[in-house]
Amino acid sequence: MIQFEHVSKRYGERLALDDVSWRMNEGEAVCVLGHSAAGKTTLLRLITHETQPTSGTIAIGTFRGGRLSRAHRALLRRTMGVIYEDFRLLSDRSVFENVALAVRIGGCFSESDVIPRSLRALEEVGLHGKQAALPGELSYGERQRCAIARAIVNRPAVILADEPTGALEPKSAADVLALLQRIHREGAAVLLGTTRPEVADAFGGRRLILEEGRLREASPAHSFMPPATAPAPEGA
Amino acid sequence: MHLFFWREAWRSFRAHRGLALTTAFSLAAALTLCGIFLLICWNAGQALAWIGDRREMIVYLSDDAGEAQVKSLQAKIAELYGSSTFVSRAQAWEEFSAQVGDPEILKAVGTNPLPASLRVRLRPALQNFTAMEECARQLEQFPEVEGVRFGGEWVRRLDALYQDARRAAIAVGVIVALAIVFVLHNTLRLAVLARRTQVETMTKLGASDHFIAMPFVIEALLETLAASLLALLLLFGLQQALAQRMDGVGFLPPVWTLSFVGSALALTWAASSLALTRILRTVGA
Repeated sequence: MIQFEHVSKRYGERLALDDVSWRMNEGEAVCVLGHSAAGKTTLLRLITHETQPTSGTIAIGTFRGGRLSRAHRALLRRTMGVIYEDFRLLSDRSVFENVALAVRIGGCFSESDVIPRSLRALEEVGLHGKQAALPGELSYGERQRCAIARAIVNRPAVILADEPTGALEPKSAADVLALLQRIHREGAAVLLGTTRPEVADAFGGRRLILEEGRLREASPAHSFMPPATAPAPEGA
Repeated sequence: MHLFFWREAWRSFRAHRGLALTTAFSLAAALTLCGIFLLICWNAGQALAWIGDRREMIVYLSDDAGEAQVKSLQAKIAELYGSSTFVSRAQAWEEFSAQVGDPEILKAVGTNPLPASLRVRLRPALQNFTAMEECARQLEQFPEVEGVRFGGEWVRRLDALYQDARRAAIAVGVIVALAIVFVLHNTLRLAVLARRTQVETMTKLGASDHFIAMPFVIEALLETLAASLLALLLLFGLQQALAQRMDGVGFLPPVWTLSFVGSALALTWAASSLALTRILRTVGA
């Protein structure tokens, strides 16, 4: 599903990823653990084609290698759901409109399906009662759940989560991880990037460790999902 | 989906009212300038057409030409050049007498020296200097014809005037089109930059350029529609003011008015689509 072959990425003098090769299969759960600036975000940005590798090949589904055209890049991004640490919700739109926007962008469903699908996604993340609220009126945990609803509403085959609990307090972080585990159990592949080992422990799945842009596998390729426990807050 | 794009355009319009109104007024100014030239062209065209209607060619007949020969000549003229009216020597004298008025002068002239003639109204396609000159040359070849007169210099000047007016209208049209493209490009850039976060987020979610651009294009089209209607209103006011001082100053006919609005909208659609393709490349990675 996702395959990196000898991928390196250089930003000027700095080598963000160094000869990284790995593979993620359909329905798999993978956690990329690494300290800040280890290359996690670069890895996720390479998957979404927000940046291009300096060398090496990346294959995502049927999209294989090289620079994609803008139209193909958009098409690729529509096949996955991405969750960001800073949520990236549109502040002038309600929770419902943020989720509905993703359905419309996806373009897979008719206009009459937009409302029921969006409401169902919000129900799944426990935000059914807050559909009319603006993101600014929600807690950080609720905002992240809204971002997750937006990521899953089109039922993508893969979910990318870049530090999804980074801005959350322990209880909300546990809720978000539990939600991601449930999404994985329902069949989606989930790739989670985090700096926090306790988040990686709580999330489970195959663990990859990124250190100074180099990747090493910390656990064998399998997918297990222990029940989510509340990770300790950062710095605790 | 279409309703969604219209809602998005309306949302953007409300969020950036100042920018939208500035754009509409800038476009209205450019379109008014274009409209003034259209108005001048239309009225000049009407005046020239009116004068052109009076363009005729006078074919003087030789005294030997009999009735049958004249009829035959008229048939050939009808076939090749246009309609003709026979003016006998007596009619020509009567007209001349009416024009001169003074019977003493007419007495001094003595016998009627005027030849019979045919007044030829040429087909519209032949009502230009080059064609008229060629027609005159051909008509002079007929044995029944003694001479042909059509006021060549006057027709040549009239044609030159019409061509100049047309060239000026095209030049102004091109300048206004460039002004519209310039205004739209800069406004759309500002609009996209003002909504940079939204555009970036939509790009990350996999929105196509078409999806992101459509509300901006609709907004630009609405602004142009408002601007062109405002320009037409100003032009109507100008025409009414001129009509009180000058006879025969008319407003643009419906076809021209619709073409004016339609061209502005078509140009806006093309210019904003092209501009957004460029702008989105720099904003949405």
